[in-house]
Amino acid sequence: MNDLDQHLPAIVAGDAMAFGQWLAGAERPIRESLRSFARVVDTEAVLQETLLRAWQVAPRVVLDGRPNALLRLSVRMGRNYAISEARRLRSTGFDEDAIEAMPEGQVAPAPPADPRLRDHIEDCRDKLPQKPQQALAARLESGGAEADPVLAERLGMKPNTFLQNFTRARKLLAQCLESKGIDLGLEWV
Amino acid sequence: MNDALIEEVAGAYRPERVSGDRTLPAWHDLDPDGRQKAFELALGLRTLEAALDPEGLSTTARAVLARIGA
Repeated sequence: MNDLDQHLPAIVAGDAMAFGQWLAGAERPIRESLRSFARVVDTEAVLQETLLRAWQVAPRVVLDGRPNALLRLSVRMGRNYAISEARRLRSTGFDEDAIEAMPEGQVAPAPPADPRLRDHIEDCRDKLPQKPQQALAARLESGGAEADPVLAERLGMKPNTFLQNFTRARKLLAQCLESKGIDLGLEWV
Repeated sequence: MNDALIEEVAGAYRPERVSGDRTLPAWHDLDPDGRQKAFELALGLRTLEAALDPEGLSTTARAVLARIGA
């Protein structure tokens, strides 16, 4: 198993690039650990706050001889933060006792992306019609820093038109990738 | 079910507020099934984004790195 703690000394020294390498492997397992909270809290907001806290607590992580100490700690932090958010939002359908009784399970980093997957996605992306391609590119280039209405305005689209174009891009990509035997879970129906 | 709301919530953008609450307003407008679909869709989108990124980073990771000033 890939041990993301290999990046810990550099992260503790304040190396943001090393933290980026840690994020590349840690984001997915932490996100997946929040699945049972998806109906009661905004898991994207919880995840981003958890990753920020991982950067902040890294200097205080105590290695215990097992791999991925910072990742394991982050999964616990994410879960605790999700519980406090569900309490704050007074979410209906939130069964705190059931959530707390759930085992944390095994935590493993995501494997590095297969370079062939990138080639396949780029091939499919190049086949997209212009406006869906623009909507997809705008989201990628903004890196989560700008709201969809801001991206829409830059492209001269109404917010709803932007989202429709993004949906079209996603569905066409999913169909193209499916024809290559790849399923990334980009379609919800 | 509002597909546009699901699409918006599945994105990585989250607002900054003085209160610290970063919940996207559109998330409140979704019913529980819609929220679950947005979660599953975000998983797929982040995989796509990371695969296309030269450093293997999704837009979520990029947003967090921006917050720490990277």
